[in-house]
Amino acid sequence: MRGTLCIALALLMLAGCETVQPWERGRLARQEMQFEPDQQSRQLEDQVYYSKEASSGGVKTAGAGCGCN
Amino acid sequence: MVEKRTSPLLALTSAALALPAFGATQPTTTEISARTSVYEEESVPASRVALGSLDRYDIDIHQFHVLAPLANDWSLAVDVNREVMSGASPWGTATGADGEPALIMSGATIRESRNGISLAASRYFADKSVTVALSRSDENDYEANAVSVSSEWDFNGKLSTLLFGLSYSSDDIRPSDRLLRDDKRILSVSVGWTQVLNRNAVLQSGISVTKHSGFLGDPYKLLDVRPDERLQWAVSMRYRKYFDSASGALHLDYRYYDDDFGVSSHTIKTAWYQNLGVRFQVIPSVRFYSQREADFYTIADDFTLPATVPRSSDHRLSSFGAYTFGLKGVFRHGGWTVSANVERYISDGDYGFSNADVEHPALVEFQLTSIGVSYTF
Repeated sequence: MRGTLCIALALLMLAGCETVQPWERGRLARQEMQFEPDQQSRQLEDQVYYSKEASSGGVKTAGAGCGCN
Repeated sequence: MVEKRTSPLLALTSAALALPAFGATQPTTTEISARTSVYEEESVPASRVALGSLDRYDIDIHQFHVLAPLANDWSLAVDVNREVMSGASPWGTATGADGEPALIMSGATIRESRNGISLAASRYFADKSVTVALSRSDENDYEANAVSVSSEWDFNGKLSTLLFGLSYSSDDIRPSDRLLRDDKRILSVSVGWTQVLNRNAVLQSGISVTKHSGFLGDPYKLLDVRPDERLQWAVSMRYRKYFDSASGALHLDYRYYDDDFGVSSHTIKTAWYQNLGVRFQVIPSVRFYSQREADFYTIADDFTLPATVPRSSDHRLSSFGAYTFGLKGVFRHGGWTVSANVERYISDGDYGFSNADVEHPALVEFQLTSIGVSYTF
């Protein structure tokens, strides 16, 4: 199940990729296209959800850093 | 004398290559940010409390951030935050006279603060970067010290980026009104991949594996016995697409989580970044979360079992679902950015995919309101 999921993710990422020339990347460089446009907001949300739900982790490592109740 | 001239195409290409990428790019400006937030939890209905205060946590949060490029391909980021919290938290759950679970709450006199600091130094190479970060968090009853190393590798003409992360945290737990003193260690590894799909879309996926060991319970619960090891893994995808016709960007995030406590969850978040001219931006967002309960979760504390048998009535280990509705406004002028946002979180035993047999009375609802200012130069 987990292996199938990982393979499906990899195939999805490869499918439909185009060569994008450097001068065509203006939109990708926009602030609203970043994965974390507002770092402080993201850090706060991560901490709140870490302390109120049982899940953590994802693209980045899962830390702790507080005894939040 | 022959004047050496640069072709316009080459100059344009060089400039485009210097654009901020999704990978290993050194910042070219210094950014200073400050943010203040207020977190407010809804009170618990009196009908669901057997003992203690009805008022739950209110927290004032202050964050400060500096990111500066340094000479010779280095940058330094400093994050400082302070929180002041007050209110009551659930100590346990009993079965009420009507057969329904009722909360045993702490008194309302809890007042604590947390101070955190993080330093991150990054070194940039032609097609990769390496970041080393140290962080410390200090409360009167909890202290955490962590170190992390992460790296980003660009390849395929900077259309693909590999991400690696490794972090270790050593935490000391010393509850203020208990004799207990214990520790916890957290080791986490992550691998990710960012792929530019076309000139308007990019996708990122990743997986993280995290091992917790030591004291993993809540020291303030009346009865909370958990295994002393926990292995977590999470796989996630994040998609960004820019729509020229609407002058806006769609964010779509998904995460699947699973651990050996028996907890599994799905998290879906979507946001729309709508540009209004060049100075204003409005960002509505919705997040959905669904969680399946831990194997040893119990709705009411059972004091008759042997002390070594894992059990917990912590509502955060129960089956539930939650929605977060958010709205954010951003104003930019010159190097200044001002933002304000409000988020509303609601949870219920029936919102998720795994409905709770009996909803835990401590499921939380909160509002988070923030205002932030940043200056880039």
